[in-house]
Amino acid sequence: MLVPSDTIAALATPVGTSALALIRASGPMARLLVPALFAQAPLPRIAQHADYRDPQGILIDDVLFTFFAGPNSFTGEDCLEISCHGNPFIAQKILADLLARGCRSADPGEFSKRAFLSGRLDLSQAEAVMDLIHARSDQALAAANQQLRGSLGRYMAELTTRLIKTLAHIEAYIDFPDEDLPEENRQSINNDIDTLISDTARLLATSHYGALLREGIKTVILGEPNAGKSSLLNCLVGHERALVSPEPGTTRDYLEELIIIGPYWLRLIDTAGLNLTPAPLEQRGIDKSLEQATQADLFLWVIDATHPRPDLPSDFSRLLTTQNTLVVYNKCDLPVVAQSPLPQPFQSVNFSTITADGLTELQAALVNLGASFQVNVGSEVIAINARHTQALEQAQNCLQSAKLKLAQNIASELLSSDLRSALESFAQISGKIDHERILDELFASFCIGK
Amino acid sequence: MGASTLLLTGNIDTIAQMSCNPAIGGQAKGQMVREIDALGGEMAINTDVTAIQFRLLNESKGPAVRSPRAQCDKKAYQFRLKHTLELQKNLQIFQATVTGLIYKNGQVIGCQTNLDIKFMGRTVVVTTGTFLRGLMHVGQNKNEGGRLGDFSAKTLSASLLEAGIELQRLKTGTPPRLLGRSINFTGLQEQKGDAKPTLFAFHDTRDPEDLFHVEQTGERRLGWSPGSEQASCWMTYTTPASEKIVRDNLHRSAMYSGEIEGVGPRYCPSIEDKFVRFADKPRHLLFLEPEGRSTNEYYVNGLSTSLPFEVQLDLVHSIPGLEQAVLLRPAYAVEYDFAPPTQLFPWLESRKAENLFLAGQINGTSGYEEAAAQGLIAGVNAVLKVRGEDPLIIQRHEGYIGVLIDDLVTKGTIEPYRMFTSRAEHRLLFNHGSAELRLFEHSKSHKLLSDNRIGKILHKLNRVHYWQNYLENTRSGAGIWAEGIRRDKEIAKLPSELAAETAEIREEVLYRVIYAGYLERELRQVEKLKHVEKIRIPLAMDYAAIPGMRRESALKLAQFRPQNLGQASRISGVNPADISILMIQIAAQRRATEAS
Ligand SMILES: Cc1cc2nc3c(=O)[nH]c(=O)nc-3n(C[C@H](O)[C@H](O)[C@H](O)COP(=O)(O)OP(=O)(O)OC[C@H]3O[C@@H](n4cnc5c(N)ncnc54)[C@H](O)[C@@H]3O)c2cc1C
Ligand SMILES: Nc1nc2c(ncn2[C@@H]2O[C@H](COP(=O)(O)OP(=O)(O)OP(=O)(O)O)[C@@H](O)[C@H]2O)c(=O)[nH]1
Ligand SMILES: [Mg+2]
Repeated sequence: MLVPSDTIAALATPVGTSALALIRASGPMARLLVPALFAQAPLPRIAQHADYRDPQGILIDDVLFTFFAGPNSFTGEDCLEISCHGNPFIAQKILADLLARGCRSADPGEFSKRAFLSGRLDLSQAEAVMDLIHARSDQALAAANQQLRGSLGRYMAELTTRLIKTLAHIEAYIDFPDEDLPEENRQSINNDIDTLISDTARLLATSHYGALLREGIKTVILGEPNAGKSSLLNCLVGHERALVSPEPGTTRDYLEELIIIGPYWLRLIDTAGLNLTPAPLEQRGIDKSLEQATQADLFLWVIDATHPRPDLPSDFSRLLTTQNTLVVYNKCDLPVVAQSPLPQPFQSVNFSTITADGLTELQAALVNLGASFQVNVGSEVIAINARHTQALEQAQNCLQSAKLKLAQNIASELLSSDLRSALESFAQISGKIDHERILDELFASFCIGK
Repeated sequence: MGASTLLLTGNIDTIAQMSCNPAIGGQAKGQMVREIDALGGEMAINTDVTAIQFRLLNESKGPAVRSPRAQCDKKAYQFRLKHTLELQKNLQIFQATVTGLIYKNGQVIGCQTNLDIKFMGRTVVVTTGTFLRGLMHVGQNKNEGGRLGDFSAKTLSASLLEAGIELQRLKTGTPPRLLGRSINFTGLQEQKGDAKPTLFAFHDTRDPEDLFHVEQTGERRLGWSPGSEQASCWMTYTTPASEKIVRDNLHRSAMYSGEIEGVGPRYCPSIEDKFVRFADKPRHLLFLEPEGRSTNEYYVNGLSTSLPFEVQLDLVHSIPGLEQAVLLRPAYAVEYDFAPPTQLFPWLESRKAENLFLAGQINGTSGYEEAAAQGLIAGVNAVLKVRGEDPLIIQRHEGYIGVLIDDLVTKGTIEPYRMFTSRAEHRLLFNHGSAELRLFEHSKSHKLLSDNRIGKILHKLNRVHYWQNYLENTRSGAGIWAEGIRRDKEIAKLPSELAAETAEIREEVLYRVIYAGYLERELRQVEKLKHVEKIRIPLAMDYAAIPGMRRESALKLAQFRPQNLGQASRISGVNPADISILMIQIAAQRRATEAS
């Protein structure tokens, strides 16, 4: 029995926060991934430590990887296992990177299926594998159906119908050259492709919001030393996670914690206090704070309300906007002083980490800010995942290449070949598309036949 | 193939009679005729030597979708083929109407005829066309028959039902025929044939005795040098008066009054349909096509209808050039039984009765080329069955014939099925010139062509590969040959030895080089699919007993009984997870048998 030759990848541990997450890739590419990712030779069965960087060289995580040479692996093929920190955000990023490098996201139960087909599991395990595929695909189906019944499904159905219409207009002139058809209108096909491209792009833009939903909104707490930043983190986390002391400059390095607020995951990051005239050691901490701040989605600017606020260093203040910043006037349990107006009309809440007064307002304000990250597609809210993104990016490439062909006046059947590939990519999201629909559309729009 | 064969027909003189327009080829169909030629069929050569007009369609587009089309002399086509059959070794022709099939233990063993003579055979191929309980309509007028002037096979249907074969009704129609000298051609636009005809048969690899110089073989078969003395077709349009006549009489049309229950093809709408469904279109194009050299009969392409005769007369007279036209035969619609083709194995044998093969219009298709392709495949498989050999199955990526049969047996059809290039996912691989090369493994392994021709095709294939390789890897001046050709589309500057090859070799090489990027993409996709196509599903698979398999999928699979995993995955309603589960079940069963 032939085993397919592509390489599949998936998260092998359940989604959620556990200490470690395991990502597995199986297939001929596994062997090539080791030098490509870690600049090391694929030595079988030796766990090695390495930095995982994306193709731009940006560090995603430090990981432990193990290469297994087929047939001595779980699936009987070459396999690569990568364990990273249990943060779902990191695991997703690594998986998306593997897909971008040419792996395919595994079907439900596909690892076990390959293991069985290559003879790694015995006959008595066959039924277990079938049950597993069944169960996993039911889960996947339920999840997919939920999405497809909703806004994503409607949006994809719309895109697909329009693509089929466009194809039918091209196919009519290929299959019925002898008919009395109206002049072929390449301009209108070009317009159709343009709107398909921009609508696909709109959908792709929601992948960031999708990532925020699944991986957490990166929220950086910043402010002057001793303002109560670490106290705020502890208060939101619900236990003493960060060190708190009356000494300014307690926090020297950043610290991250995942919390849930309303429907959102927040990746809360406590940073070293910001001083306009820092000492050398403080400067190191501030540099790290800046590194975090530049990648942040949201800011919590903590101001000690018991004395007049200092300004933020300009490197930081230029990152803040009314869309991404919430000001927290802290220590409101103590007598407060009048504050000078904020540099921008930021939202603000009065708060005390000691009495937790203002917590409800704080949470409500955070949920509001989170919602502002939604990308609205029409009147609907859509969030796509890594698999959808992969499919849509493929579709987008095909549409772009079709547009190019149109501009170069290249023959219709080649143009059509690109659009059909785009249709295949759409089908990866919305399920099998019967090509008969192209003919249905064609016969409905043109008076064809003798 | 050397099998002793009997051909029974209700009327020997109507062998290869074209019921409708005597046009062969056109989009996708033209490529299919070349595939038929590549597998040893007669259609291509018969068309080449009896055609009265040749045109290559889509000349402005790429080679993959260019299709040859020819207008034949209807009677010459028919009688030449009849003559060819008479000369065919091992073939006996006999005129008798088959009234029923003879079964024994679920197998067909022969047939019963109206002459009360029984004929026995190891395999039987049924190709009844539109004759099974054929019923013709002209307005409210009804006549039994498969074709105007022909009989209706009334009892054979019962015999198929007896074997458990389900039958349904379809309909098709044909326009009126006119007397040429009553047509006023002045003012009508002329459509001429191509000065240089594109032929259907592969003359470059053909044996001398196959060639069209029939005069020289001493057989005196009908035919002429292809492309000689081509005839013209003429174009005219319907008028507002035509539309009014049709609209005023819609209620009298057999199709609109509910007389006809069969489903008609959407790509062959009647004139009633055209006016009703496309009301904003002011006029409809019609072609006047001569039916032959030795007849003055003209076919009115585009005017298919089931209106009553007197309305047809008014309608014809409302059309420019046809004001005085004399009708020789009325337009009519015909309804007939067909056997939904999902009841067939991919080698066209019935799943209900062993050794019974069905081909042509009885399988729900429409068109001469579709029928010929199936007839050829069914015939080959009937012989292979007798010999106990593996059947011939053309894959979807090998040619239109593969797409046709796979669509029929896995998806079925609800309207008369016709081939279109858009039905083929890999049509870029199906340029008409490559048919012989694409299907070479099949023609060779089943000995469908003479040894001499097989040798010539192999030579052609080798030359094509040699040049492909040469152009992709040899430098010429500043760069690689192939890159230069792709960049400039400049074919004037070819290596001189390539220029000296035959036009067929040169064209194929250039197609493969210029479109290399696209063809490679197609081939990669084909490779991916091939592996599931190769995984055979045991015939006795008990789908209901597979653990984890969804019930709906098990039912669907049990109903269609796919031959391999590729086919299974194309059945609608069977999802990928169930295909995975099925794959494991097959592997498990295989391992269990190997172990025991
Ligand atoms: C009115 C009409 C209009 C059509 N229009 C078009 C069109 O526009 N375009 C197009 O592409 N195709 C058209 N077709 C279809 C095309 O003619 C057929 O698809 C094609 O000829 C089918 O080939 P076949 O070999 O299956 O059957 P046929 O060509 O119909 O041949 C069947 C043969 O079987 C014989 N036969 C039948 N029953 C018996 C029996 N019981 N015993 C002995 N012999 C028997 C008949 O004598 C006949 O010779 C039309 C057909 C008809 C009738
Ligand atoms: N009364 C009062 N004291 C607070 C409040 N929040 C923090 N404090 C106190 O303020 C001091 C500094 O708190 P931290 O949370 O360490 O402040 P920080 O901003 O993290 O300081 P650095 O890490 O040094 O930049 C501690 O003594 C806290 O107990 C508050 O809401 N009310
Ligand atoms: Mg601190």
